[in-house]
Amino acid sequence: MTPAPAPLLRLVGVTKRYPGVLALDRVDVTVQAGVVHALTGENGSGKSTTAKLIAGAIQPDGGHVEFDGERRTIATPAEALALGIVSISQELTLAPTLSVAENIFLGRLPRGRGGRVDWPKLNAQARAILEELDVHVDERRAVGELSVELQQEIEIARAVSSSARLLILDEATSSLSEAATARLLEVVEQERARGVAVLMITHRMPEIYSAATVASVLRDGRLVGEVPLPGTPEPELVRMMVGRELGDYYGKRRLSAGETVLEVDGLASADGQLKPSSLTLRRGEIVGVAGLVGSGKAELGLALGGAIPNVGSVSVLGAEVDLSTPRSAIAGGIGFVPDDRKRAALLPTRSVAENFSVAWAGQLTRRGILDVRGERRRVREAIERYGVVTASPASRITTLSGGNQQKVVLGRVFARGLDVYVLSEPTRGIDVGAKSEIYRLMQELAAQGAGIVIISSELPELLGIADRIVVFHRGEIRGEFDAAGLEEEALAHVAITGAPLEQAA
Amino acid sequence: MTSDSPATPVAADLDAPTTRAPKAPPLPFWRRLSLGRYTGVVVALIAVCVYLSITQDVFLTWGNFTNIVKANSVIFVLAMGATFVIISAGLDLSTASATTASAMILGLALQGGWGIVPSLLVTIAFALFLGFLNGAMITRLKISFLVVTLGTLSIYQSFALVVYNGSSITVFGRPGFNVLGDFVNHSIGPFPLLMVFDVLLLLVAGGVLRYTGFGRALFAVGSNPEAARLNGINVGRVVLIAYVLAGLAAGLASVVQVGRLTSASSQSDPTLLLTVVAAVLIGGTAYTGGEGGVFGTLIGVLFLGVIQNGLTLSNVSAFWQGTVSGVILIAAVGLGVLRDRGWSMRLRRGAPAPSKLPEPPGAERAAG
Repeated sequence: MTPAPAPLLRLVGVTKRYPGVLALDRVDVTVQAGVVHALTGENGSGKSTTAKLIAGAIQPDGGHVEFDGERRTIATPAEALALGIVSISQELTLAPTLSVAENIFLGRLPRGRGGRVDWPKLNAQARAILEELDVHVDERRAVGELSVELQQEIEIARAVSSSARLLILDEATSSLSEAATARLLEVVEQERARGVAVLMITHRMPEIYSAATVASVLRDGRLVGEVPLPGTPEPELVRMMVGRELGDYYGKRRLSAGETVLEVDGLASADGQLKPSSLTLRRGEIVGVAGLVGSGKAELGLALGGAIPNVGSVSVLGAEVDLSTPRSAIAGGIGFVPDDRKRAALLPTRSVAENFSVAWAGQLTRRGILDVRGERRRVREAIERYGVVTASPASRITTLSGGNQQKVVLGRVFARGLDVYVLSEPTRGIDVGAKSEIYRLMQELAAQGAGIVIISSELPELLGIADRIVVFHRGEIRGEFDAAGLEEEALAHVAITGAPLEQAA
Repeated sequence: MTSDSPATPVAADLDAPTTRAPKAPPLPFWRRLSLGRYTGVVVALIAVCVYLSITQDVFLTWGNFTNIVKANSVIFVLAMGATFVIISAGLDLSTASATTASAMILGLALQGGWGIVPSLLVTIAFALFLGFLNGAMITRLKISFLVVTLGTLSIYQSFALVVYNGSSITVFGRPGFNVLGDFVNHSIGPFPLLMVFDVLLLLVAGGVLRYTGFGRALFAVGSNPEAARLNGINVGRVVLIAYVLAGLAAGLASVVQVGRLTSASSQSDPTLLLTVVAAVLIGGTAYTGGEGGVFGTLIGVLFLGVIQNGLTLSNVSAFWQGTVSGVILIAAVGLGVLRDRGWSMRLRRGAPAPSKLPEPPGAERAAG
């Protein structure tokens, strides 16, 4: 209709090569001012490489970049900033010992006479920005004392307070609660209305659909296509990302729930985050646990895994389980997978094989001596069984992609053959293909008679995989739903308000 | 908007079968080579040996080699224990002091006319107790290993001075000493007993690390204690055992030391602790825990021993030896850190893990 204005940023045939890998292969992306552009694809498809290229962190090996219609190189992050290219990335770049206000204005602190920092002005300006974003935090506190979620919001405040022309959100919502995500998307919309171009890098479908009007899809370093939104249906977009039909994504099975396998009676965490809660789980059943960050859902998992001090009574197949240590929880038949892979699950300096067998120590040793041959066999079987892509069992675990690391973390617990599995955020930060495989594994376990508790911040995931969903609010279970025919809104309402949605009478 | 660029042109591409490799291609040979953390040190050791055998006639003789082994046995035994502690992501600063204190116990026992067997038993038991004390304070009271072992460094040394009023105990000629003297001086054929002892110790320690549940648990605890705990490993017990083993090493080292000196000295060698830790780190055991091994430590001990031997043979003042060892330590560990950083930076840059994707066909064409 109207002649399109000159694009703010154009990537023309950019190519980036790493040793042994072609990270980007002749990719073209055009970003217009005043448009939210989603860049999406599986992990390892080249999304983040593209973002780093635009932000001046790396240089292309081929092709070129145009900014404001002019061909140019963005040699350093500082140069990108000078052009008005501001990134908010999943990895925090804050200085933990400095105050919130200092972090927001890092590198451009207001100066008074003689180059002194004008503290009152700094703090006042910071407060104004924080209020505008509805973030309630004392601007004089050190950033390191804040929760990860608040830190992420500080990072966002810093980005929007600088006069950006191109805002890059590189998986910026990965550690935000749903409320904070919604707030960020509001900010994005405001910025867009001011004429800022926004490049949103994510594989979270709800965000793409709520914010972006155009999406570029990458796969294996190549541009698969550019499609309008929300005109393109979700299955179509997913198909472009993974390059195949996922078919029945969650792989629903016929529910044949059997005897009660897990009985939780008044379980509470010692720190009070989880108030006495009760729950039952039957053989073959998958129960989803929803709730906001801090609702107690994470503590339910940790308590069931024996990872935090807790009180209450839990039994598996009628036998009381001692939850005082992870060791005793496992002995009682409960396998727990924590939500933070890097911090609590991986052995970063060890091989794929050892990352598997660390969970099987008791089964692989006789009088303290390791059955090396048995270990090798079981690891080989597990790599095959759980579809782990690795050069060799002896490769370091950190050489694997996030999805493959997660398959190891889940697989080693699944292979123990327990009655109950408690999985906290089992698909966080992994790509669509790996997610689908993990859902399939969960379905198989349930079909074989295990009971599964899945704790997740992603409501579509819970609706897709679970048979029944409980919702936490302020440390308590406030709602329990049959997943069939359930709407996301009903869950979200309980999670946020603690009360069920009023029935339209 | 760009309604003229729908997804149609790519439809054909979508129908192509997925080319996700079921198995990644094998690693290029240079990366396989760099997998051993002590490869660089082995190469340097060989280079030094070649240089010394050309410039020093004496160097490449069996007699010189056995001298190196005997002279470094105390360091070797302590380094075996230190390897376990460092793999657990800890450090035992008290190891030299514990050796001195144990040596005094052995000296007192022998001087008191005890036979060799009860003397050894009481010495080893005492050393185990010293290691247990370290481990218990670290794991039960949750005090930092640096604080605990810095404290016991001082306490154990002080104990060694107190028990015999600061004097050394000569044990030569005492009834129990003969066996000890034989152990240190005799040979089986061309092999000194001490060398046989060192090799056995190496095999046992290596076997424990590689073929026991404890060894696996030790690496897991050093790599990520929280992950180890969640997988049912009793982290405190594993760490405690590591310090007890360091104590055992101190006990064995004290026996070798008393045998070689024919007396129990109440003063620790001030460079002993540093040499032991340096040998472990040079051998590729990471001070951050979770990786390394006793074979690397053997290389580290040999390397420092050969350098010292070479300097002596070359008539370089002994005062220079500390400088040389220090430079080697920093260079060896520094190179390892640089290599690891190269790795993690490549991963952080968001490059897909090299093992994930095969090189897409036509990569060369894209260079234009």
